[in-house]
Amino acid sequence: MTKTRRIFTLLLRLLAMGATLAATIIMVTSHDSAEVLNLTFEAKYSNESTFKYFVIAEAVASGYSLIVLFISSKSLLRHLVMILDVVITTVLSSSVSAAMAIAHVGKKGNSHAGWLPICGLVHKFCNQVTGALIAGFIAAIIYLVLLLYTLHTVYI
Amino acid sequence: MALETERKTEAIFNSTPAQKQKDRILLLLRLVAFLATASATIVMALNKQTITLVVATIGNNPIKASLTAKFQHTPAFVLVLYSLLIPSLLHIYNDCACTFFVVANAQASFHNLLILVLEIVGHKIDFKGLRLAIIAILDMLIVVLAAAGDGAAVFMAELGKNGNSHARWNKICDKFQTFCDHGSGALIASFIGLILLLIINIISIAKLFKPKSYNTI
Repeated sequence: MTKTRRIFTLLLRLLAMGATLAATIIMVTSHDSAEVLNLTFEAKYSNESTFKYFVIAEAVASGYSLIVLFISSKSLLRHLVMILDVVITTVLSSSVSAAMAIAHVGKKGNSHAGWLPICGLVHKFCNQVTGALIAGFIAAIIYLVLLLYTLHTVYI
Repeated sequence: MALETERKTEAIFNSTPAQKQKDRILLLLRLVAFLATASATIVMALNKQTITLVVATIGNNPIKASLTAKFQHTPAFVLVLYSLLIPSLLHIYNDCACTFFVVANAQASFHNLLILVLEIVGHKIDFKGLRLAIIAILDMLIVVLAAAGDGAAVFMAELGKNGNSHARWNKICDKFQTFCDHGSGALIASFIGLILLLIINIISIAKLFKPKSYNTI
């Protein structure tokens, strides 16, 4: 692989690692509480299994990015890296999509099921979750671009 | 010139009996994946349950209210357009992740059908040596889309089944039993389709690596 391609791939992987790390950290540090009629309403990421899945998926993806940064493009592991890239992109995409679905219910509610929106009560939590979702979405797109670029350079 | 030798090596490479057997197994896997995603689409699209509840009683007449559970109907072509461009943003335009699930699985089954037909009857169509690459790239995009649809739907289903006491969201599966059962069936079929599609994609990518070493003619 020529030098520019190597640098570009390295840059994409660094960006992906940064995005996944940011998504994890922002989601983990999000919590807020509000008082409603004598009841304390506490919102943490660990109350929802979806957000826990999101944090785990992004953490695994960022660890994977870090490890793969050190594998050169000529080694024997590059085929395994390609296959693992596909798996990680799949997992990232599904985690972002699931978290977005639940966050959408939290923001707009679901009148058919009788679920009220909670974003009006806990603004800070909602904003941080939105930020984490944006970072996760960017990470998924970067991984997709990386995958297509690696395929393009390997095949051609 | 290089592409011509590539095509010839591909032709030689693909005509041994062992290779034909592998190709047939791949076709079979793709057929099963197509059936799985198509059945998931159909089951979830026709998923509907109406129950009537007695809300109040005035004198001797009970007032009934009927609740319907179904996936939201929105204009289909808009959805297909959006899901082609930006998969996850689809949630903003509808109430339920079920619609995104149905659309993603519909696209996945359409893609499977297309590639099946291409493999069976389209061997003469010339892709200038890029056949494997195009199939691999399309497969990758569809795997990512189907995974997104599955992830969203499974977590919404879990929310409907268990509720969320912290957010005061009650579970709805005890009232809409059939709806939840059909939904779980569709989810299982979709996951089977997704796993098969992932396996097919990995095999296609692994095939891409090999012709390079044969291309030393």
